Amino acid sequence: MTVSAQVKQTAATLKSAQANLASFALSTGNQQARELYDNAAQVTQEIVESLQLRVRELEEEEPQYRAP
Amino acid sequence: MPTWVHIVYHSVVSLVYLFLLTKLIGKRQLSQLTFFEYIIGITIGSIASSVAIDKEDFLDGTIAMGIYALLPILFELIALKSQRFRNFVEGKGRVLIKNGKVLERNLRKERMTIDDLMQQLRMKNAFKVADVEFALMEPNGRLSVLKISDRQPLTAKQLGLKVLPEAEPQVVVMDGHLVEQSLKTKGLDRHWLLGELEKQGVRLEDVFYAETDERGGLYIDLYEDEGVVQQMKTMQMTHVQLRKCQADLELFALDTNDERMKSVYAQEAKRLDELLRELTPYLNPQSGRSIRKAVEATT
Repeated sequence: MTVSAQVKQTAATLKSAQANLASFALSTGNQQARELYDNAAQVTQEIVESLQLRVRELEEEEPQYRAP
Repeated sequence: MPTWVHIVYHSVVSLVYLFLLTKLIGKRQLSQLTFFEYIIGITIGSIASSVAIDKEDFLDGTIAMGIYALLPILFELIALKSQRFRNFVEGKGRVLIKNGKVLERNLRKERMTIDDLMQQLRMKNAFKVADVEFALMEPNGRLSVLKISDRQPLTAKQLGLKVLPEAEPQVVVMDGHLVEQSLKTKGLDRHWLLGELEKQGVRLEDVFYAETDERGGLYIDLYEDEGVVQQMKTMQMTHVQLRKCQADLELFALDTNDERMKSVYAQEAKRLDELLRELTPYLNPQSGRSIRKAVEATT
């Protein structure tokens, strides 16, 4: 697996975790837990975006490995 | 005095009196082992009702109720001492099937038809006379049935199986509340219970009922049988995903030669690590000791 594919996969996994966190935030009745989940969802979202940016850079560096 | 005052007064007195008498007679009456006991219960009840309603019979009725309650007790006390008296008062059972043969003469003495007998046998799960070794009509009118030996349910002993001795179960969580007393009887404490709950991945507040079993384990019933467990699983899965991503990021940081990217990866890995530290108590309470305190705090 190329580096860009690896990073892409990690970004996808993190994206799925981020969605779960957002749904926990909606379903919990505990105010403290909701804030925590909301914050966690936001932070993971930022990391996901940073990773996606990195994927684009990598694909520019190694255009031969770009996914068709 | 108006009539209704009489009735209120009589009803209350007869109710209290009836209550005291039934306490005196005790549980035996309830089992109605003999026809006599069955009739006595009905009679006392009907006298009590006439005491409550009739204006004149108040004293007479209470005396009659007392006699109907005390005389059977006297009979029972005598029956304890004398076998002959016991046979006379309480009656004896009558054998209806012996060695697999129906005793027609005894059947006739009980004024039972073969249909009555078959009905009673069926209620004891014996659908064929051929399955029955011995049947006895008890004094209370019910039939006791002994099936022939090869039609009896198989037991572990016959198979030579070793089975765990039964231990009386203890209810340790009831309606979501911990029962300290029964934990103590088992020589356990709340730390053990919370530990067991953690092992099974549930929180105390989600448990409706829990009991110990003979192996020293715990059987749990949850308020929301499917939902909670499903949510717990999703939470654990999310926790694992986040940890994997965090590890990936650290790996990328080590792998890359690009200094700028190295620092970006390392920074994101650190952020995720901090996040995980905060989330762990919520997503995966089994890992991490501090959670036990959180669970205890909520109880």
